[in-house]
Amino acid sequence: MRLALISDIHSNIQALEQVLARLDRERVDLILNLGDLVGYNANPNECIELIQTRPILSVAGNHDLALLNAELAQHFNIIAYQAIMWARSEVRPEFLEFFLDLPLTREGRDYLACHGTPTSADSYINYHFQGKKVLKMLDKGLRLRVCFFGHTHRRALWYKDIRGKVATQPLTPGKIFLEPKWHYLINPGSVGQPRDGNPDAAYAIFDDEEFSIQYKSVPYDVAAAQENILRAGLPEFLAERLGQGV
Amino acid sequence: MTMYQKEGILKDGSRVILRPMVKEDRDKLLDFFRHVDDRDLMFLRNDVRDPATIDAWVENLNYRRVFPLIAEVDGRIVGNATLHMRKVGWKRHLGNVRIVIAKQYQGKGLGTLMVNEIIDLAAEFGLEKLVAEIHLLANAALATFKKAGFSAKAVFEDLVKDPSGQKGDLVVMVCDVLARER
Repeated sequence: MRLALISDIHSNIQALEQVLARLDRERVDLILNLGDLVGYNANPNECIELIQTRPILSVAGNHDLALLNAELAQHFNIIAYQAIMWARSEVRPEFLEFFLDLPLTREGRDYLACHGTPTSADSYINYHFQGKKVLKMLDKGLRLRVCFFGHTHRRALWYKDIRGKVATQPLTPGKIFLEPKWHYLINPGSVGQPRDGNPDAAYAIFDDEEFSIQYKSVPYDVAAAQENILRAGLPEFLAERLGQGV
Repeated sequence: MTMYQKEGILKDGSRVILRPMVKEDRDKLLDFFRHVDDRDLMFLRNDVRDPATIDAWVENLNYRRVFPLIAEVDGRIVGNATLHMRKVGWKRHLGNVRIVIAKQYQGKGLGTLMVNEIIDLAAEFGLEKLVAEIHLLANAALATFKKAGFSAKAVFEDLVKDPSGQKGDLVVMVCDVLARER
């Protein structure tokens, strides 16, 4: 089965449209959305509407949860807070049901999908101790080989080899074949607000039969997304960062 | 909708507004710094009681160079924290933090609230580490930064001088922005 992994769309309709158009040309069996459909950018309704027209399986991200419960947004920094409060005032009431139904994790054949970590939509996998903790949970507790996650907006490939060594693997262009007996944490990067220096909308294709991952990205109309942010009165930094991929 | 502000709750249950400094804060800032103890200002690089300094700040706001966070109660500024960033160079992943809290709001958790907010903003801006320079005898400030996730990395003996010329030890504290557990 070929799985398309998308994450952190964050109300960026221009980026989402380009990624879905590209996926239409890929031979994928399933699209997994790893959360945070809303927040930061200026087109939440358009993104929710588009996501619902496709057979996409989604999990809840911390911004999705804060859309439903403003108290959770209190933990956001001022910029993210401003953006999610704006989204709360903009999202059409009939769309809220979509978020009410979102699970925190989804399990498939030998994989788990989550937003931050399997136990929290608001925790990060950035550092070695964080990756090690989740890989241990995956191996010993959940007995699964792969965990797909988002939240950091940066592409990543963590592994735990058969001797228990935990590290990140360099992301090379093209298909990366994974070791059948190792455990992996896979972050496809962000569709709507990439932060790894490449402003293109990021996604990934996972193949569970040949056990491979391929990181991909597609250019989109950044200027139009920036214009929408400024027109909505959202913080200027949110527009600026899209051009730099930070 | 009021742009860019958030409410925080202090240890005694009182509420403060956290928001970025804006041009219109000039007079409030001057009033704030005029009522702060001299000792709480000695680490700043500018004479913040000079109206020209504040004019220069509010006229040249650039949130990607310096993000100035204000705490406000009933229209009065009671805290000022700044996050200083560089776009290029070998320290481009680092931010420096400076914070001043009004005397009557010290010990109420406002410092911790503002430092936590600065750490979250640093993550948003893509910074990896934050650096704070604190006088070794500033026990409350040291405790505040430690509580927020900073740890002391170096102490420089007799490095700084107070307004009277008395030498003091400087502690350099560092926080791994992305390693913080929520």
